Amino acid sequence: MRALHKFAEGLIRLSAIIGTLGLLFVVAVIVVDVVGRNFGAPLYGAQDLVMMTMVIVVFGGMALCGREDGHIVVDILEPRFPPRLNRAIDLVAGVLGATIFVAIAYTVFKSAQLSQMLNLSSNLLRLPTAWFQYALCALSLIAALALILRALITPRRPHPAQETS
Amino acid sequence: MSPVLIGSAGFVLLLVLLLLRIPVAFAMFTVGFIGIWILNGLQAATGLLASETFALASNSELIVVPLFILMGNVASVTGMSRRLYEAAYATIGQVRGGLAAATVIGCGGFAALSGSSVASALTMGRTALAEMDRFNYSPRLSTGVVAAGGTLGILIPPSTGFVIYAILTEQSIGRLFMAGVLPGILLLTLFLLTVLLLCALKPSLGPKGPATTLSEKGRAFLGAIPILVVILLTIGGIYTGVFSPTEAAGVGAALVIVIGAVSRTLDLRSFWQAARSSVVTTASVMLILMAAHLINPFIALSHLPAEVSRMLVAFDLGTYGTLILILAIYLVLGCFLEGLAMLVLTLPIFMPVILSLGIDPIWFGVLVVLTLEMGLISPPVGINVFIVKSVARDVPLSEIFWGVIPFWCAMLVTLGLLVALPQLSLWLPGMM
Repeated sequence: MRALHKFAEGLIRLSAIIGTLGLLFVVAVIVVDVVGRNFGAPLYGAQDLVMMTMVIVVFGGMALCGREDGHIVVDILEPRFPPRLNRAIDLVAGVLGATIFVAIAYTVFKSAQLSQMLNLSSNLLRLPTAWFQYALCALSLIAALALILRALITPRRPHPAQETS
Repeated sequence: MSPVLIGSAGFVLLLVLLLLRIPVAFAMFTVGFIGIWILNGLQAATGLLASETFALASNSELIVVPLFILMGNVASVTGMSRRLYEAAYATIGQVRGGLAAATVIGCGGFAALSGSSVASALTMGRTALAEMDRFNYSPRLSTGVVAAGGTLGILIPPSTGFVIYAILTEQSIGRLFMAGVLPGILLLTLFLLTVLLLCALKPSLGPKGPATTLSEKGRAFLGAIPILVVILLTIGGIYTGVFSPTEAAGVGAALVIVIGAVSRTLDLRSFWQAARSSVVTTASVMLILMAAHLINPFIALSHLPAEVSRMLVAFDLGTYGTLILILAIYLVLGCFLEGLAMLVLTLPIFMPVILSLGIDPIWFGVLVVLTLEMGLISPPVGINVFIVKSVARDVPLSEIFWGVIPFWCAMLVTLGLLVALPQLSLWLPGMM
């Protein structure tokens, strides 16, 4: 169990690293494109690179966001709920979130197979759409794993009002 | 069961899930998916889930979200955002209420870098509260001004609120950013006047700060130059058409990184932390947007917007009356719902009404974003108040809520002015 937990934590960290590197890559692409344009040589396919890397940036952070309770909640009633109910809600939210990410992974996987069959790609650089859809699926599954871990193992944090008042 | 009834039941279920503290995105995904399944079949629901998720995640316009968040995070860790406060502090700190006024200016400057109200309140809270405490400012004024000043982040461009509104209503991000400039300056000015008025009425609220020498003033101004350059380049670049919003965000982020590295205020570790934190925040915002693209078709399929539109038209309040009613609904909802969730939930219902009344969607965007801003300091949720509380642990929560009331009133005045004078929002975008 411990080894599995460690492995999952490693995957979550890796996912966040990939997303962060993706973001820095986007910054670099935009800067090179803008500077290049001023010298009459914009970066060919910059839009394609930004578009496809965006998938990695967005889904790369999902796992860490789930593990760190980063998803936005309306916690107006939280201080009034008994601790046991709050714990149960955490569990339900985790399972629900994981189910959503698995559903996303499954439907996008089906869509990726179709993209592969139709040879869909980006406009200029002809980057195969399916590659990024498969990446989205993998990162979604890691996000599902993170939410399950968060719900089952990690202790809950107190509400800011409980923490500070 | 009629589609309208299914839509209404979905809306109630959504509210219940939200109040049960199920994450906003998860609740919206669930209700949207089940709703479309009931109204249009499972295949339509799964098809939409796959297509919308990938389409949103690869939307190149939305890259401004992580880029502006990165810019704000790096500006925050390098202390760059503090410099404007220090420059304002050196100039007006010695007048009565001057430190609070400098805080407002600092918040405005940070807002122009980050687009996040929470980040503004947290950063300025850490910097300004200790200073105001040192000079015996009333905690009610000092905490109130930080909580309220922090909200400027959502109105002064670049603003995440405008980006979300633009995506949900298919408006131009650049035009919305420009539309927020004058209202942002107007609100900042009204905040300053509020501080000065409060201190004129009750001088003990904000005693005079330390006098600074000319060389100290000069040094403080020199320190603020990088932040001013970044603001001018990004906002000015969008206005003049030199940059698209995406390019402005990318160049702005690169610029703060370079300035941080050159001035040795940004080490590799804090840079990585800032970038990683930007990715996490992006994930949470983007997941809500994806969920919105699932719940919006459900709401449209249920014919709920048409029904609400018919109801509002039946009230026969006229264009301004209906607009004011909608804004009043936003103000009430803002007391209970998180701003982004409120935007995503209400726009599919109100937008058709707004368009049918011939109200400019850019103008409406500014008004809505301002009401979201008011929600950030409205009890009982008022997230910015909780943020300030986490920094000012000795000040009771009630005291902070009392402190924000004058600023909330200033926001209401701003809202009134923006409703009465649409040109305040529309003049700059019209010049683009």
